[in-house]
Amino acid sequence: MENNNMGELKCRNRKQVHLFYCMECEELARKVATHSEFITLQSINWRNFDDGFPNLYINNAHDIRGQHVAFLASFSSPAVIFEQLSVIYNLPRLFVASFTLVLPFFPTGSFERMEEEGDVATAFTMARILSNIPISRGGPTSLVIYDIHALQERFYFGDHVLPLFETGIPLLKQRLHQLPDANKIVVAFPDDGAWKRFHKLLDNFPTVICTKAREGDKRRVQLKEGNPADCHVVIVDDLVQSGGTLIECQKVLVANGAAKVSAYVTHGVFPKRSWERFTQKNEGSEKGFAFFWITDSCPHTVKAIGNTAPFEVLSLAGSIADSLQI
Amino acid sequence: MATRPTPFPSSFLTRKKILSRFTFFKQFSILLNDKKCSRFRCQIKSFENQPPNWNVEFLPGTQPIHLIQNSPSSSISMASDSALKTVKNVCLFYCAETKALAERIAAESDAIELRAINWRTFEDGFPNLFIPNAHGIRGKNVAFLASFSSPGLIFEQLSIIYALPKLFVSSFTLVLPFFPTGTSERMEDEGDVATAFTLARILSNIPTSRGGPTSLVTFDIHALQERFYFGDNILPCFESGIPLLKSRLQQLPDSDNISIAFPDDGAWKRFHKQLQHFPTIVCNKVRIGDQRIVRIKEGEAAGRHVVIVDDLVQSGGTLIECQRVLAANGAAKISAYVTHGIFPNRSWQRFEHDNGGHPETGLTYFWITDSCPQTVKEVMGKPPFEILSLAGSIAAALQI
Repeated sequence: MENNNMGELKCRNRKQVHLFYCMECEELARKVATHSEFITLQSINWRNFDDGFPNLYINNAHDIRGQHVAFLASFSSPAVIFEQLSVIYNLPRLFVASFTLVLPFFPTGSFERMEEEGDVATAFTMARILSNIPISRGGPTSLVIYDIHALQERFYFGDHVLPLFETGIPLLKQRLHQLPDANKIVVAFPDDGAWKRFHKLLDNFPTVICTKAREGDKRRVQLKEGNPADCHVVIVDDLVQSGGTLIECQKVLVANGAAKVSAYVTHGVFPKRSWERFTQKNEGSEKGFAFFWITDSCPHTVKAIGNTAPFEVLSLAGSIADSLQI
Repeated sequence: MATRPTPFPSSFLTRKKILSRFTFFKQFSILLNDKKCSRFRCQIKSFENQPPNWNVEFLPGTQPIHLIQNSPSSSISMASDSALKTVKNVCLFYCAETKALAERIAAESDAIELRAINWRTFEDGFPNLFIPNAHGIRGKNVAFLASFSSPGLIFEQLSIIYALPKLFVSSFTLVLPFFPTGTSERMEDEGDVATAFTLARILSNIPTSRGGPTSLVTFDIHALQERFYFGDNILPCFESGIPLLKSRLQQLPDSDNISIAFPDDGAWKRFHKQLQHFPTIVCNKVRIGDQRIVRIKEGEAAGRHVVIVDDLVQSGGTLIECQRVLAANGAAKISAYVTHGIFPNRSWQRFEHDNGGHPETGLTYFWITDSCPQTVKEVMGKPPFEILSLAGSIAAALQI
């Protein structure tokens, strides 16, 4: 949030918010609560029956009557969705004053279109499930999501939820200003999609745009516009999976004269520990990444990586605490 | 109906001549596998005079005993009627767990055709799904046979369930033989989370198709009140496995010596009306000091073959306690029936065969349906277990 917004918020009445969270998000939830005295942590008993189905209990259910309530969710795999969903569908009906669902990373986001009849766009399934959250006394549920993959996905949600699309870019900008070579930073986008998503937020930096061009059977990353020579280039994208695209971009940038290359993604999905490609130095002339910034939207990755170079975790806690005041 | 031009044993040819007089004669395939065993199945859809609906299955001697029953469910009253009504052609999709049951269902009726789905996963664990020949189901009646044996499987099946109705199908039916979470359906304490409500909500949100609200077929749902958990955009069809049990009991040599026992009042409420013509025994749990002990509340067990009936079994503790009480009260033989054999952590291992007459240590029969495919795999061919298949009942329900 920009400085003038912060001043505005301080003048308005602050909401007292009771924050529940899933097991994976406990650390992030604690950080959010330390950001503001208006946020209190609440707990849920997460147990399972023998058949594997959840046996859940919301502690202090009476105390949240008439209060603003939020739930910090994380759908890191399909298996954890049902138990969190049971809590999400239940909380709004406990006579709360309002309900906010914070889902920092919206998974399935990259599978959001039907190119062929028969494709099943699981992002639509996810949006449908979330749109079906019961309304509470405070009206439709607010749904806070960071850097959703496709801009069109905002229209997948029905009228009973109010999606609030936030971004991690301000955290990146803050971090970049702290760097000693802050005046030599160039932002690179690995493809047009990333440029569409982020260029307006980063228009005070010179930009480089890459693209994938077909060469015979393969698709190679090439420089489309901009000049990275002698600069510290920061590749920006919303998420990283295997990391292949980022590595190819880095090679092209170095080949075109970049002095240093770093990366920022909001969501470090990194399935199957693919982040390991970045912590090990490559052979030969590869310098690797100077910095690799991710947020704490994907708790399993953060636990595994911590701050192992070149990774640095930028926390969404402050941003989430502010969004709970909306 | 097409007859298939495959070679038959000569006894079958004679039968075929006789049967060809009738209006509809459907003959399924004859499979000759390399063990020189044969297996065939016939279904006569209508006779000129009588409307029986019989089903014969011969199994090769090398396969474990797998009894498949087919008896009309309460929802299709007369086979002759069905010959006169238009038969609905149904495209049946299924998930990996339910493939075997889907194949049995398709074998029940020429009108049911199996369709496949590509079930793959992305690296991040989320599903990567594709419905081949999606154009081919336009204007057709479509069904999906689901199984939510664990929470991790729900999302991928749900994606298919939410996608199919929107492919210009003429109707959509979801068959979910076992509705899990059914036992977690009430809030005793504010703070309890009734997951049955979550599941009902998720299913009530299935998009409507051109055929209107989705039909949801489920068997022996745990609590009768759960029918009201579903919203108006879905039409739940509550079926039961009890007719399969009744057919099976009639085949037993001591069918006139059977009494039905209910482990608690809940089971009695759910099932007594369907089992009225059997003498009944009702058990209940009584608190004695710190413990809760199962006792017989009403009915006589002495000298009888007692069949304990309930909708599902988890650890089996309740059934075992019932068995002890019934044996102590003189039951000659004890069997059990549950529609849904959940048996988490292989708890089915607690149930032993009585080997012809020790009711206190074992059961004569333990019938379960094929609603829980993982269990069926594990107990098939292991006495006292016998599987009663829902295939016929489901095939009939798809015609509704």
